[in-house]
Amino acid sequence: MTNLWRRHRSWLTPTLLILPAAVLFTVVILASSIQSLWISLHDWDGFGPMVWIGLGNYRELLQDPQFYTSLKNNVIWLVMFMLAPPIGLAIALLVNQKIRGMRLMKSLFFIPLVLASVAVGVVFTWVYTPEFGLLALIFRFFGATAPAVLSDENFVTFAVVIAALWPQIAFCMVLYLAGLNNLSEDLIGAGRVDGARGWYMLRHIVLPQLTQVTFIAIAVTVVGALRSFDMISVMTRGGPFGSSSVLAYQMFEQSIFSYRFGYGAAIASVLFAIMVVFIAWYLTRIIRAEERGS
Amino acid sequence: MVFKWTERSSTRRTFLKGAGGLSAAALAGFPLPALAQAAEVTVISAENNANALEVLRRIAADFQKESGTKVVINNMDHEAHKTAIRNYLVAGAPDVCFWFSGNRMKAFVNRGLFDDISDLFEKEKYKDVLGANAATVTVDGKQYGLPTGGTMWGMFYRKDVFAEHGLTMPKTWDEFLAFGQKSTSAGLTPVAIGTKELWPAAGWFDQMNLRVNGLDKHLALMDGKMAYTDAALKPVFDHWEELIKLGFFTPDHTSFGWQEAGAFLAQKKAGMMNLGAFVKYAFPEKDVGQLTFAPFPIIDANLPRYEEFSLNSVHIPANAKNKAGAREFIAYFYRPENLGAYLKPAGNVPPRTDLPPSDDPLVNAAVESMKTMAGASQYYDRDTDPDMAQAGLVGFQEFMAKPERRDAILARLEGTRRRIFKI
Repeated sequence: MTNLWRRHRSWLTPTLLILPAAVLFTVVILASSIQSLWISLHDWDGFGPMVWIGLGNYRELLQDPQFYTSLKNNVIWLVMFMLAPPIGLAIALLVNQKIRGMRLMKSLFFIPLVLASVAVGVVFTWVYTPEFGLLALIFRFFGATAPAVLSDENFVTFAVVIAALWPQIAFCMVLYLAGLNNLSEDLIGAGRVDGARGWYMLRHIVLPQLTQVTFIAIAVTVVGALRSFDMISVMTRGGPFGSSSVLAYQMFEQSIFSYRFGYGAAIASVLFAIMVVFIAWYLTRIIRAEERGS
Repeated sequence: MVFKWTERSSTRRTFLKGAGGLSAAALAGFPLPALAQAAEVTVISAENNANALEVLRRIAADFQKESGTKVVINNMDHEAHKTAIRNYLVAGAPDVCFWFSGNRMKAFVNRGLFDDISDLFEKEKYKDVLGANAATVTVDGKQYGLPTGGTMWGMFYRKDVFAEHGLTMPKTWDEFLAFGQKSTSAGLTPVAIGTKELWPAAGWFDQMNLRVNGLDKHLALMDGKMAYTDAALKPVFDHWEELIKLGFFTPDHTSFGWQEAGAFLAQKKAGMMNLGAFVKYAFPEKDVGQLTFAPFPIIDANLPRYEEFSLNSVHIPANAKNKAGAREFIAYFYRPENLGAYLKPAGNVPPRTDLPPSDDPLVNAAVESMKTMAGASQYYDRDTDPDMAQAGLVGFQEFMAKPERRDAILARLEGTRRRIFKI
């Protein structure tokens, strides 16, 4: 036994160390993804018999106007969420100055990150409520009537994204604050000697040192935008009449409310395919960075 | 040093063994502790009224004292239960569960997931006390559950607001239109409605359709036997559109839930509201006494009066372990004094006709309405296929916000109907 162990130790040890994680990953992620793909080729209500329909669900998806609405909204989420890293950086630069009271400012900007996103959703729903919400009160102060943003099919997605941006900006700010603390004083000093200041300093000396942070901020923001679900569920339930739904919410709605697990799985597969593009981009960046590092 | 190395090596080996064991456990699935002995009845309820739950627990404790059988009540969140039931009926069923009668029950009966309790009906002579309500738990002449409490849908208004503005409850369509005009000029929204949760719009459709086309045609539509583009539905949407154009409903209703819409009624900003008696939860305690119930106005005087009356129910899953104990328990629970106590906190309408009159005037009004109606549907999302219901709920909400899209919405619903009912 001991001999056997000693002979095979070189490969047994790493294998056994990796095994728990590998098994969990296989069971929880890989197996369920494959099962989900398998389900998407069937007509299934979640507990009855599964009927094979091949690509029927995907064919129906291509003709479903709700699918295009959700897809369009996913794009709006993605584009608007890209505002989070620059705004987060701006706020980080602002509160990073050594002025009295900045500590308090920092923690105030940090607050939305501590709140559960469901709570943020509820608070913003109140803000948007027609007639007695905060937005309505502000408009009334100026003698105007606030639009019922959550009832308007053209505004509703933007209104929800703005609510979701609030914690996302705070998150990016924290990332940049950490990055700003690690700036090389030498480089900044050298730049100052060469006469760099203001915008020039930011553009050519500070930002290049924040590339890695920016990379993480963008990656996290993209994933955050694509998996958006909780805000929509709390604020609009995809409404009015499905106009604020996104793929993740439509998948949930089709599977849980309409009992169409096959169709829901097909939507999930499409969402997965979109995510894969970003995951591939993310992985190549990481691998390239590691190669450069070593 | 050598000694130390061996020791460290052995601990690492132990860790690796543990890691291997953990992987094996993950692969095999975590074992669950063995469940339930025979002399125990497990109940899954989805009661969101804390007082009603307390009564249910008390009934269970009394039953335990009387029979010696232990009753375990697991209460779930009402919405979460709607999805959980499909899992637990198949894998790990309790002995008793709460659900909804009618089509929602039928979905499980067709899959053989609910136990036939016709024997209990026979023994306890439930048909005599349930009357027409027995039909809601009957499939092919067999009973699969007991109706617990009902909600009578209709119009609710404040007595004092009506008195203040000289309004009366409209009984016909013309009176209803006149009521709208009068309440608008008094600065009230004629009808408070919040469609954020979608279903209130479907309830409105149901009652209009019952008044225009009657119960049989309505149920044909629910069963997928009638097209959404059928000419018979045109007057329903014509009447509905007329109300929308006249500004009958709360503006921006898709932003409000039923509770917020109920608050408009409570704050004397609206004339009436179409809901169940649970609208009283949107009212402050002192104002609940003002709340009054009336049936939906008549549209076609030649039709008998059909109403929307939805009944919850209690069932024994087919995979229950202790079916005899479950029968004993639900029979005990269904005794008039126990059922009455259970229904009281939420103000639900008792399906048994042998219960003494309630001290809640809203319940008594609903019971009176129930006695004189010609028949009842349950509710759009209970009567039709759940997939159809989801599409319909969204469609009706869209119609209320954008009535000009009527044809497109109905064509879409018709497409959904053809897909679901395989036409």
